[in-house]
Amino acid sequence: MDSKHIEQLLEKYWNCETSLEEEQQLRDFFKGTAIPDSLNETASLFRFFEAEKKKSLGDSFDTAVTKELKKRQGGKIINMVSWVQMARIAAGVLVVVAATYFIRQEVRRAYPEEKVVTDTYTDPQLAFEETKKALMMIGKGFGKAKSEAGKIKMFNEAEKKIQGKETGAEKEESANI
Amino acid sequence: MFEARVLPVKNKLFRFAFRLLGSSEEAKDVVQEVFIKVWNGREEMTDIQNMEAWCMRITKNLSLDRLRMKQRRATDSMEDGFDMQHESLSPHETTEMGESMVRIHELIAALPQKQRQVIHLRDVEGYSYNEICDILELDMNQVKVSLFRARNAVREKLVKINAYGL
Repeated sequence: MDSKHIEQLLEKYWNCETSLEEEQQLRDFFKGTAIPDSLNETASLFRFFEAEKKKSLGDSFDTAVTKELKKRQGGKIINMVSWVQMARIAAGVLVVVAATYFIRQEVRRAYPEEKVVTDTYTDPQLAFEETKKALMMIGKGFGKAKSEAGKIKMFNEAEKKIQGKETGAEKEESANI
Repeated sequence: MFEARVLPVKNKLFRFAFRLLGSSEEAKDVVQEVFIKVWNGREEMTDIQNMEAWCMRITKNLSLDRLRMKQRRATDSMEDGFDMQHESLSPHETTEMGESMVRIHELIAALPQKQRQVIHLRDVEGYSYNEICDILELDMNQVKVSLFRARNAVREKLVKINAYGL
């Protein structure tokens, strides 16, 4: 292969215009020994690619993996990554629960609940008397309020009378004028 | 089925994981993880048309997950006052490869992630553009631009090496 053709191919290669076949031609050329000095470094690049392609895992890997997988046949393999994810979620939930608990404790301490009213009387007669007393007290309150409201009524009537008189006097005044 | 369709691609998976992770031990672990994943989903294997591209895609995703985890750990250790460890070739590998090859290895390792993936898939493994799109879940334009940038970055460095021996 002449060097001019190679140079053209290389130009195409750098511009990413080569096909896979043309790239193979370049690889084949650089495998050879007749390489111009100016292309020494480019040759190293292609040789590097070739050397990279030879890196392999070896057959021992196959046997180890096949053995490992056959051992697990049927059962699902626990994935460490998913465990880590689950642990993260669990930790998050735990933090939220713990925070809620402590906040509630604090709130309870700061504002203790008022004591719930419980039954204080066991004797029904006594309870009746006490209820009666309480109701009487309320009734008394109502009576007092009613008499006070009566006074308001009296005020209203007095106000009306005064207004009536005032309008009569005004009429007289206007008649005199 | 599994042995016939999946095991033969193991070396391609290994090389791809190695290109992304820079460590053969980790790359080996990733390939094993890929096989376990494929094995777990073997019932759906018949629906997959391009098994090789599918396996390569899983390899890419698992390798990138590992890289992210490593970066997170590295950031944590830096915060704790430790130095970051960089992946590099072992002295044995350096002697075996020769000086110019080591330079090219470093040159490609220094490329941005996406460019490194594309140049590896095209120039080492010889995949078509369509297959690369499928593996990397990128569109044709992104693949071509990445390859163009990768090859040109390599070319520029090679010209410098040739002219000034840098």
